[in-house]
Amino acid sequence: MLVDTWHLFNKCMRITMRMPMWTLFTLIQPLIWLLIFGQLFKDFVQLGDDDYMAFMVPGILVMTVLFGSSWSGVSLLREITAGTIDKMLVSPVSRIAIVLSRVLHSSAQVIAQAFIMLFVAWLLGASLNMNPIYLMMAMLIVFLLGVGFAALSNGFAIALQREEPLVMIGNLMTLPLIFFSSALVPEQFMPDWIQLISAVNPISYAVDAIRAVLSTTPDMAVFGKGLLVLTLFAGASLTWAVTAFNALRD
Amino acid sequence: MTNLAIQIKGLTKIYPPDNRAVDTLDLEIKEGEIMALLGPNGAGKSTTIRAASTLCGFDEGSVMVAGFDVDTHSLEVRQAIGVVAQQTGIDYFLTGRENMMLQGHLYRMKKADINDRIAELASYFELNDSIDNLVSTYSGGMRRKLDIACALIHRPKVLFLDEPTLGLDIKNRKILWKHIDKLNKEFGLTILLTTHYLEEADNLSHQVAIINNGKVQVVDTPDALKNSIHGDSITVTFDDVGKNEQAFFHVAQQQPYIKGTTWEDNKLHLYVEDGGANVAALIAVAADNGAKIINLSLSRPTLDDVFLKYTGSSISEVKEDEGDEWWKQWAGKGGNTGKWKNQWGANDSDAEEGSESEDQAWKNSHWAKNGDNGENLGTQKRDVAQSQPGAWSAKQQQRPDSNNTTSEQGSQKWDQSQQGDWQNNEWNKNKDGGEK
Repeated sequence: MLVDTWHLFNKCMRITMRMPMWTLFTLIQPLIWLLIFGQLFKDFVQLGDDDYMAFMVPGILVMTVLFGSSWSGVSLLREITAGTIDKMLVSPVSRIAIVLSRVLHSSAQVIAQAFIMLFVAWLLGASLNMNPIYLMMAMLIVFLLGVGFAALSNGFAIALQREEPLVMIGNLMTLPLIFFSSALVPEQFMPDWIQLISAVNPISYAVDAIRAVLSTTPDMAVFGKGLLVLTLFAGASLTWAVTAFNALRD
Repeated sequence: MTNLAIQIKGLTKIYPPDNRAVDTLDLEIKEGEIMALLGPNGAGKSTTIRAASTLCGFDEGSVMVAGFDVDTHSLEVRQAIGVVAQQTGIDYFLTGRENMMLQGHLYRMKKADINDRIAELASYFELNDSIDNLVSTYSGGMRRKLDIACALIHRPKVLFLDEPTLGLDIKNRKILWKHIDKLNKEFGLTILLTTHYLEEADNLSHQVAIINNGKVQVVDTPDALKNSIHGDSITVTFDDVGKNEQAFFHVAQQQPYIKGTTWEDNKLHLYVEDGGANVAALIAVAADNGAKIINLSLSRPTLDDVFLKYTGSSISEVKEDEGDEWWKQWAGKGGNTGKWKNQWGANDSDAEEGSESEDQAWKNSHWAKNGDNGENLGTQKRDVAQSQPGAWSAKQQQRPDSNNTTSEQGSQKWDQSQQGDWQNNEWNKNKDGGEK
């Protein structure tokens, strides 16, 4: 299974490398947020010692992950239409590997995007903790979140069976989830009901965990909690996606 | 029961609620044989292939492929078969070599072995010059060849070809036939192919199975099938089928030299003993009854006549069956229980109302029992091939074009969606709009 996954993952990566522009395109929106909102809110947001840029960057990273990984299902539908998936299914290849390779590919892509975003943030002068170990920990969260949402996207693709509603759900899912989390606004500024949603929103945990390790004063407890929640989230979505994929055939 | 490569017994596949795509179908294919499944779209050819190649489950029956039960030993079956589906499952953004390499990996072959095989197959299919180019630069014929080469990489014993020459021009089709024939002769590969080109079944296969309404109507060699139609075939085309023509039909049926008749819209096929000698007498009968004949042709029976005899419709009339159906076909049982079923239902009935031609209505009323070829599947009759007076070959000139529209749509969609998903959405909207 792992070998199968590796070969399929390789194939996906190779295709992506042939058109790197696409990876960059999905970065445009988070970049706009980073540049415009970062500048816009910088002066009237009061966050004590931290600057808003440093506060916002983890939120934008998570946003990048969401925008990047929720497309994964669209390409699954495309490959089904093109017959590529059929070609895999008539071979003895592991069925889990088919879903897993897609999800991993999406996460790898998202990690690359996250690094670019961090670089831009660094250029803009955000005061972040750039210690490689902490960076890797942040990327672990990015990876898990990517796995979770790419799997969700694949699962929805199978449940909805069409591209249009899938894209709609993808859009519907990403923006509110970001606003209902601590990505852009600290929790204490939220109305109570949004705090409530935020508390069950995996994105909040991801943002908090990334923020905890990228902060100049890392907080391991928050990171640990986020890591746990996201591992569960990624595992659950992945299980759902694989089950849905297998249930398609009788 | 030795030497059976494929043995299908009582295969039944029901798409909910009650569409029997394949209905207690029996089929046996000997090792080293080429069998062609011939039938209109929606007859159950593809479903049969999908069931036999472990791509979809089925409701009843048993399927043995290469000595293994597809239900209980699907892994062994998968190892023993190669499948070329209707859509080319190759990746356009990889080179030919990379596609074959991946395919080899999927079958868990050793790298050196894969390389040997790629070299072998590339020269066999004359792809040596372009094997390292991106598939998106390939022509349709080359893609097809690469597709077959991919399916052969692991040295399967049985090869399934679902409409292998769909959308190819005549030259490329002939080249592909040559390859398929050679594969069978040189390597003893058992091949099960579906087609709706009669010529293809005639040229290529040892056995032809005519399938209609999910059942095998007849299995035999192409020659035996043609001989089963006694005498020559006379096709009479009328301007309009009225009282006189019906009268002529009734009198003609009484003639001792007429062995059989079949209607096809405003054409009447008569199977006549010693056609050359009796054609004059037949014309006299027509004149007596005042039937207006606008065209009359005399020929040896072809597979088209055989097809007509067993399915009640000429294969050239069969409608294309594409569009939204893909998911249902792909997802097996799952497709029809999905949330979008209702939406599909709506689209289907729209499409059917829109394109019901008068011809079709006439035919349905006269041939009620045969009139359900494909129609009860709720297909979109985007592509009703006009029935033409004249020989089969004339229609063949036409068919590749009409088929191209569907395959090109597929690739258009592919290309566009790679450019960006916003475009893809836009395109889908247009497409949906156009269909309604």
